[in-house]
Parts: sequence; structure tokens; C-alpha cells
Amino acid sequence: MSKIEIKNLTVDYVEKRKSFTALKDVSFSIEEGEFVSVIGSSGCGKSTLLSILEGINSPTSGEILIDGEPIKGTGTDRGVVFQHYSLFPWMTARKNVAFGVKQVNKNASRSERLKIADEFLDKVGLEQFKNKYPSQLSGGMQQRVAIARALAMDTDVLLMDEPFGAIDAKNRTILQELLLELWEGDGTKARKTVVFVTHDIDEAILLSDKIVMMTANPGRVYREIEVPFERPRNRAQLVQTKEYNKFRNKLLSLFYSDIAEKIGGEEVVL
Amino acid sequence: MNIQAKTAAPPAIAFDKKEKTASNLKSEIIRRYFRVVHALFVVFMLIQLLPDKLASDTYASYAIWFAVGAEVLTLIVSALIKKPVSLNLFVDIVAFIYGLLIAWTLATAKFNLLKPALFPPPGKVFSQFIEDYDKILVNVQSSIGIILQGYLLAIAVAVPLGLFLGWSARLGGAATYISKFLGAIPPIVYIPYGIALLPTFRSVSVFVIFLATFWPVLGGTMSGVMNVEKKTIDSAKVLNVNKATMLFSIMLPASLQQIFIGCNQGLTVSFVLLTSAEMIGAQSGLGYYIKNYSDFGDYTRTIVGLIVVGIVIVIISFIFNSIQKFLLRWKPA
Ligand SMILES: Nc1ncnc2c1ncn2[C@@H]1O[C@H](COP(=O)(O)OP(=O)(O)OP(=O)(O)O)[C@@H](O)[C@H]1O
Ligand SMILES: [Mg+2]
Repeated sequence: MSKIEIKNLTVDYVEKRKSFTALKDVSFSIEEGEFVSVIGSSGCGKSTLLSILEGINSPTSGEILIDGEPIKGTGTDRGVVFQHYSLFPWMTARKNVAFGVKQVNKNASRSERLKIADEFLDKVGLEQFKNKYPSQLSGGMQQRVAIARALAMDTDVLLMDEPFGAIDAKNRTILQELLLELWEGDGTKARKTVVFVTHDIDEAILLSDKIVMMTANPGRVYREIEVPFERPRNRAQLVQTKEYNKFRNKLLSLFYSDIAEKIGGEEVVL
Repeated sequence: MNIQAKTAAPPAIAFDKKEKTASNLKSEIIRRYFRVVHALFVVFMLIQLLPDKLASDTYASYAIWFAVGAEVLTLIVSALIKKPVSLNLFVDIVAFIYGLLIAWTLATAKFNLLKPALFPPPGKVFSQFIEDYDKILVNVQSSIGIILQGYLLAIAVAVPLGLFLGWSARLGGAATYISKFLGAIPPIVYIPYGIALLPTFRSVSVFVIFLATFWPVLGGTMSGVMNVEKKTIDSAKVLNVNKATMLFSIMLPASLQQIFIGCNQGLTVSFVLLTSAEMIGAQSGLGYYIKNYSDFGDYTRTIVGLIVVGIVIVIISFIFNSIQKFLLRWKPA
């Protein structure tokens, strides 16, 4: 049994009697401990898919099973990083993370929660900004706090919607490595199952076991591609290999052939 | 906030600053101590030298001591205060008071332009204030006691209820319309019911203040909750918070600004209602003090009462604003 099974998922947005199909008949499954990236052009329904996985939206038809159980609303088994950073503005960075920890770990004392918060804020490089409010942080810093919160919650499943999109290249590299390191762990614990939305093909290759490529109007799965590279992956070495460039070109041509098909057809979306 | 500013400051500028400290000090002294307010103080002192035109005692020494006190305070504040904006505010208020005192002294004691029975000279008012100090304190306590009781009780009930109803209304409900309707009724119309239902003036006052505060706070809280961004609610939802946490840890802070608007409105209306009610039916309180002495034609004490009401309101709104500022310190400026 797969950890997550997405079965014939269709999502319509209804607005003033007009209906828009954001996802149509999307099916794929994700194994326990698998790192899956979802890529696809803007508006193809990646965030919509995640919102169903998060449990804050429900599908028009079809369903998602986690551990064989259909999703009914939100759950503490899933940690979430939204595309648009969403901290609580009245809590400091530290409190935001500690608040997340409290929701999944009711037994932890206040000082334990704060300790965990500090630890993860250190990891994302924000030790100096712990006591700042979100309004005093840059967008990228806010997103790093949100990432720290999701990681500190230590959930089975991580759902991340373009988490590094607003972050500068240097910090992005650091965070990618941090995420991989936390995901790979020290071998004592089962790996987390990760669903990771990105626009960045290199990021997807570096991080994932499998890449799900989506296509727009209506949102559908276009291809599922296994990433053949062994772990642990070394970014600097990997990008220089022939195999990497071949694989990357293959992904790119798939991506553009999808768009070319669209241009050839009636709908033109770029 | 200023970490970047600090690290970004190039050394050249820092050096420049050092060189200029001498002239900086001079301009700093001018900024702090060379102000119109002190000129006004001197003017006030000088007009004391004019001969009195009033037959009765003008108690000028009280006014002079008051002004000297204000001047000493202003100098201390000028030396200690950090923010230029706060200093300007403080100094402007004192300057306004001096201006008022000058005009008042000239119009009464010095030129006798107004009816002395209705407009006593400032010194007389100050001396009356000192004489009546204990009595005034008792009346202030009585009024504030009633207001606080009704007001705090109303907030304690309206906020949780507003959070709950607002949350239900978000999910689609009639709560909004019902509270709009009930809130539209001016609280003063509840007075007859209060009198019929409740035994004492005090309990009626608390009841009316309760209602005067309850509706705006309830309305503010509900509209606050209904305007919380979906983004905020979604991030709370994915953390799987329970309902109590959602209401008190998320909705409450997220709608705090609107709650404060309701609280502010309630406070203003409460003061108007209470002082009016005290003028009509009470044996204590600031409204009673004013009305009682004006009935006896004692306008010195009436003016004392008016000034005290003004001071009380200024102090209360200062405290209110400080609390609001503190609780909303996370809001971007
Ligand atoms: N609440 C909504 N109501 C109506 N339509 C919506 C809503 N949310 C999304 N859509 C539509 O559904 C489609 C998919 O949106 P979605 O946000 O899932 O795209 P996305 O793949 O995440 O895009 P991006 O890469 O730009 O984040 C878009 O065409 C969008 O206009
Ligand atoms: Mg999106």
C-alpha cells in the first residue's frame, strides 16, 4: 500500500454560476518515505492539488488516501509550507515555530517547545531574528520561518508549495541541503514522505525520487518520471555529469513539448 | 529593524558625525530649550505685574505657582524625553495651557471683561481645586468605579461572544444581522428599563454602560473575525488547532484592531452617558459635582469640575491608547 494515493481527483472552482476545472482526473501515488516534486507551468493546479492534500479544500470528485484512509480535513500527520508565506503576524518568529510545535506535541513543556523552535530557526539561519515579528522580516526570511515551523513539527508527511521561491540563491542552496539532510536523517527513523512543488527543474532533480509533471487547462498529470541518480547526491559533482545534462534536457523537452502541444491546439497558455 | 542600518553605515559617515558633534550639541540645545512655550511662560509672569481690576481677591499666587510647576515640569521633560515628536507634542500642550491662562487672566483679573460670578480668575479656580481636592477625588472614584465595572464586564462578555458569533457567521449565519439590529438601538433608551428593573442609581448606570459598550465591542469583534484573511485561517487549520485555540489564539489577536475600535466607541459613549445620568439622578460622581454647584451658582466649582472631567478623560484615553499600542505592537507601522 502506498503512503499517499491520489485517485481520479477532479476539482472545480465555482464562481457565480461559472465553473472552472482546475484539476481533472489526477491520479498518482506516493510511497512511504518518497520525495516527490510536482512541476508544471503556472496555473496548472499545483497549489490546488496541495490544498486537497492539506485538507483545507475538498475535491469535486475522486479522493486521496493517506495510509489507506481517505483525507477528512486537516491533520497533524502533515506539515505544510504555503506558497504565500503565512505566519501569524502577532507572534514573533520564535513563537510562530513554537506554536506549531505545540499543536503536534501537546506534552512538550513551554521551554521544550521554545528550545525546538530555537534549534530550527538556527538551522534556517535566523538565530538573530528569533524575536522579530513577521512585519520586521523580509519575505524570504518569513518563508524561512514557515519552513522552520513545518520542519520543527516533525510530521510524517511534508507538503511544500514552492517553499524556496522567494529565497535568494545562496540561502536557497543552504535550505535545499538542509531539507535533504533532515529528510535523509541518520537512518534511525523512517524518512518523511515529501510532496514538493517547484518551478525549478534543477531543484526538482537534486531533491526528488520522482517528478510529477503537470499540464494546464485542465490540470492533469502529464508525465511521472523517476529520477535515476543515487543518493546522497552531491550538487557540484552531479551537475557536471553527462547523465545529469541528458536527463535535464529530457525533462525540458517534455516540458516544452507540452507547451508546444498547447500552442498547436486551440488553447494558448504561456 | 535597525540591524541593517547599523552594519550598512560606512565609516566615512561615522567620522563626519564625530566632527560635527559640537555644532550638533548646539542645535540640540536650541531644539530642546529655545521654544515658544518658555516665552509664553515669561509673558504670563509679566502680566501678573499689571494692576488687578477685580474688586475681590484674585488668588494670583495659586496661578503663579501652577505656572511655575508647569514650567519646571516642562524643563525636566525637555531634558529627558528622547523622541522629538513626543517632545513637540508635550510642549505644544503646555504652550496651549499657557496661552489659555494668559487670555483667561487678562479677561478676568486684569481687565474684568467677563462677569466675575460666571468667570472666576484662574487663581481662584486653582485654590478651589486644592480646597476641594478630597471631595473631588471621591467623586472621580465614584464615576470611574461605575464606568470600569460596566465597561470591563461588557468587554469580558462581548469579546468571547463576538469571537464565537463571528466565527459562526463566517460559516454563514444570521448572527451578523441580529447584532446589527440590536446595536443600532441607542443605549440611552435602555435607561427606563434599567430604572424599572434595577434598585439603585449605581446598578442602573452599570447596566447602561454595560449595554453602551457591549454592542460596539460585540460588533467590532464580529466584523474583525469576519475580516480575518483566509490565509491566516488556513495556516491555523493546517496546524490542526482545536476550536478554542482557533478562537482565542488566532481570531482574537487577528481581529484585535477592530475590537479596539469598538472598545473606544464604548468608552466615549459611556462617559457621555454617565456624566449626563449623574447630572440628573445621582448623589455622587463628577456629573453630580458639576450640576450640584452650578445649581447653587458656584461657577468656580463648576469650572473645577469641568477641568477635572477633561483631565480624567485625557488620562483614560492615554492609558487606553498605550494598552492598544502595546497589544498591537506587532502591526507594521
Ligand atoms: N479559489 C479559487 N477560485 C477560483 N479559481 C481558482 C481558485 N484558486 C485557483 N483557481 C484557478 O485554478 C487554477 C489553478 O490554480 P493553482 O493556484 O492551483 O495553480 P498553480 O499551479 O499553483 O500555479 P502557480 O505556479 O502560479 O502557483 C488557476 O487557473 C486559478 O485561476
Ligand atoms: Mg501555486
